[in-house]
Amino acid sequence: MKILKIIPEKCTGCMRCELACSYEQTGTFQPSKAVIRVSAFEGHTSYAPYTCPQCDEAWCLTACPVEAIGISPAGAKDVADDICVGCKLCTIACPYGTMFYDIDTHKAFKCDLCGGNPACASVCPTDAIVFEEADKTDWVGPFAAERAKSPAGPLAGVL
Amino acid sequence: MARHVIVGGGTAGWNAITTLRELDQGDSEIVLVADETPYSRMVLPYYLARDIAESHVYIASPPKLAALNVDARLGARAERIDASANKLVLKGGDEVEYDNLLIATGSSPVKAPVPGADGENVHSFWTFPQARAVASGVGEGARVAMIGAGFIAFTILNALVNQGVKLTVVELESRILPRMIDDTGAGIVQDWLNERGVEVRTSTQVTSIEDKGDAKLLKFQEGPDLEVDLVIMATGIKPNIDWVAGSGLETNQGILVDEHCRTNVENIYAAGDIAEGPDAVTGEKVVHAIEPTAMQHGRVAAANMAGQEVAYKGSLLMNIVDVLDMEIASFGAWDDPDAEVFEAVRAERPAYRKLLFHGGRLTGAIILGKTREIWTTNDVGMLKGLVYTGVDISEWKEHLRENPFDVKRAFLASGAAGGLLPETVLGRPSISAHEIAISS
Repeated sequence: MKILKIIPEKCTGCMRCELACSYEQTGTFQPSKAVIRVSAFEGHTSYAPYTCPQCDEAWCLTACPVEAIGISPAGAKDVADDICVGCKLCTIACPYGTMFYDIDTHKAFKCDLCGGNPACASVCPTDAIVFEEADKTDWVGPFAAERAKSPAGPLAGVL
Repeated sequence: MARHVIVGGGTAGWNAITTLRELDQGDSEIVLVADETPYSRMVLPYYLARDIAESHVYIASPPKLAALNVDARLGARAERIDASANKLVLKGGDEVEYDNLLIATGSSPVKAPVPGADGENVHSFWTFPQARAVASGVGEGARVAMIGAGFIAFTILNALVNQGVKLTVVELESRILPRMIDDTGAGIVQDWLNERGVEVRTSTQVTSIEDKGDAKLLKFQEGPDLEVDLVIMATGIKPNIDWVAGSGLETNQGILVDEHCRTNVENIYAAGDIAEGPDAVTGEKVVHAIEPTAMQHGRVAAANMAGQEVAYKGSLLMNIVDVLDMEIASFGAWDDPDAEVFEAVRAERPAYRKLLFHGGRLTGAIILGKTREIWTTNDVGMLKGLVYTGVDISEWKEHLRENPFDVKRAFLASGAAGGLLPETVLGRPSISAHEIAISS
């Protein structure tokens, strides 16, 4: 299946993905409501976007006590708002930290691959996020680990 | 054709049914023995809040069970097991033969042994009928006493307060949520509740519940009496285990099971609140009476019943509850006196974070903060991932000691995600229950 492939070496930290994501998902430009999040490394000189890997185990889907989470035609695990009661079990079941809770709608929400045309990939100006056939893998881990080992340390210059 | 008999239609039983059908597409007999029509206990607080209709609470309705080709004996109650003859004996004398038996009879609420606890308008909140009874007794201005300040009590606190209930919480122990968070966390939550008009009395023992006209009068070992309209007893639960006595099954707190959710009898399995199985962090056998464990036990037991060899890594203790827009969650061995502890309080927010380590491994965590802030940082799942995988984050310990609120980069750099991605509990991608196809 097509997945969101992330190449953090190409990320400039422009945050367009977060804005496009939050607008597509919630109709507002609020990075705090984005389900893709960019982390800064090495004193804001390196960046890595991170989102739901659409894992095979589907921890969120199996945890849901009302079967509100299904698999969409695009292959994304997707929350049905009319069934979700907002119990947040999926948020503690997901070991990736990519299950979110909307404090305004009282529903869980997550990356649904925008129905097969992910806004984050569409707006990324450097192709750090691309939507294509690829293996599900930890795109960010090796990059983040390498930055953590640099002499400056991962948090130099970061509050 | 193999006959699988499942006793209990809660989360564990229902997940076992869907997993069996996912694996065999209908090529086995499934008999469900359940004394209630199956429903989701987890969503009863939302029913009490009047957010959802009764129909929303029923997960495995009779039509759904029929569609999965399940012989559902609803209203039937298992009385004993004749393991030597592979027979389940029902109340009334009917017998059901099995090739594999799954015991998923859950747990029941225990009322504190107080005179008057069985009186009118004194309810547990555990079953659907009990939830209905509480729902019909609460509304704007109703005075309610909640005896017990554990997780179950807290799951319905919002529903009560948001309907205008005047709530008093009474806890025998010295802190609220005694099995979910520590003293520091409990103190913050207690202040939060007091500021929002909920009275909390800790270290307080109820000595009697008396009738006073239409009201209830609670008397305590110390302190003033309390007059209320309704009493909710949330004083703990215990596994429904008595009926298996004499079956030859090994029991402790629950029925002892191995990593396959198999008991000491080869073709008898146990799952959910009644099962005492391996803990993912310690490896020791424990009862984790929580929804995620019931779900996973049910799936693992069913896969093994279907003839697959599926070993379970163990259950992870975890809970999350929202109390009037404060989020409280804990994972793993959050109360371990032998752990190295990093903690920080931001009293002005308020927020609290506690991380527990053994060497480079995170073995437990407590997270507490305003709902909107918790879901902005979204650390909850990452902490679960770190505790569950036990991945080495030694390089991040000094940073986390200074700032236990900043876990995201440690998670990303840990490689936890890479370790998790190939992992599936059943050895293949999960599907939704809606996708299960039965061949007739």
